[in-house]
Amino acid sequence: MALRAAAGRLGSSSRRLLPVLLSPSSTNDHKSFLHSHATSFGYKHVPEEEKSKLVGNVFSSVASSYDVMNDLMSVGLHRLWKDRLISKLNPFPGMKHLDVAGGTGDVAFRVLDRINSVSHRAMQGTLTDIEEDTQIYVCDINSNMLNVGKKRASERGYKEGHRLSWIQGDAEALSFEDGSMDGYTIAFGIRNVTHIEKALSEAYRVLKRGGRFLCLELSHVDVPLFKEIYDVYSFSVIPAMGELVAGDRQSYQYLVESIRRFPNQEKFSQMIKDAGFEGIEYENLVGGVVAIHSGVKL
Amino acid sequence: MRRTAALLLRHSVGGGAGGIPQALADALVCPLSKKPLRYCESSGSLVSDAVGVSFPIVDGIPCLVPKDGKLLDHDQEKAEDGSTKDSSYNQ
Repeated sequence: MALRAAAGRLGSSSRRLLPVLLSPSSTNDHKSFLHSHATSFGYKHVPEEEKSKLVGNVFSSVASSYDVMNDLMSVGLHRLWKDRLISKLNPFPGMKHLDVAGGTGDVAFRVLDRINSVSHRAMQGTLTDIEEDTQIYVCDINSNMLNVGKKRASERGYKEGHRLSWIQGDAEALSFEDGSMDGYTIAFGIRNVTHIEKALSEAYRVLKRGGRFLCLELSHVDVPLFKEIYDVYSFSVIPAMGELVAGDRQSYQYLVESIRRFPNQEKFSQMIKDAGFEGIEYENLVGGVVAIHSGVKL
Repeated sequence: MRRTAALLLRHSVGGGAGGIPQALADALVCPLSKKPLRYCESSGSLVSDAVGVSFPIVDGIPCLVPKDGKLLDHDQEKAEDGSTKDSSYNQ
């Protein structure tokens, strides 16, 4: 608990509402950025059609050491960040939740655990009825990641297919009905999508009215001095760690480059707004190393 | 009474739809047309009649990535053979 509070206080943790009026120049700015995101693979320039294959290769390669690497790179902090994400989501029994790019299951397990704990604290009888309707869908474009997730689920004792479902799918073309989800999360995934705006509009489509969108993603650090330290860490330490632990320097080079190429907190907020969401907020964690963006479909 | 009925319904067709629960198959739609999918017994795949594409189910995981869908021949119910995807269908 103390560690969680400390992590939250580290750097500047801030909440900002998106300004209603935006200057035209900044709107054009982010549209050209979108195109460059579709054709950037980290700092490399790639044809748009190629990007998803390249990203696919990255995740097929890292799938088996994905969780270990996350712990190492973030010094275990990613667990707290995901806890915070679930806290903000505030899951309820009976909800239909979609976790996109959630391959290895971290977010889905947390949602399920949270719902189970809420249910147990409540009365028996009527609440258990609703509990049965809870459905968590984990969607990922990469089958290796999903297989790791399924395995972890059975190791943790989650009953096969009971409330957790695994689907291979594309964030840009989801296989769910309009207005079918109470919640949508995407943790450390949207950065890897070729067309961010498509993923956002699909998120909007599948959510019910009143449904919430939450995105946890590596973001931009502005805090002076800390920014420099973070850059050194990213470009020197992370790829080396990737080589040592996962046997794959290139994938982790891609990772740190793709973070820099991703829109900053304000730009991304605007993109979420463009998709139709309202009440967009973001919260920086660890001075902006990660940010949780949230919005509601009204 | 309602709970028991719902439970029975869920578990009795758990083996249906080629290794995925019926409830899941019912919740899924075609990623291209967003229309309902049909489970095809012979190929163990989910078929989108709206666009004439079938999506495989591999190791109990439905693969609904648009580019992995197989175009179906006109009048053909089964999925094509000799495709690039090497998958063992869960029967």
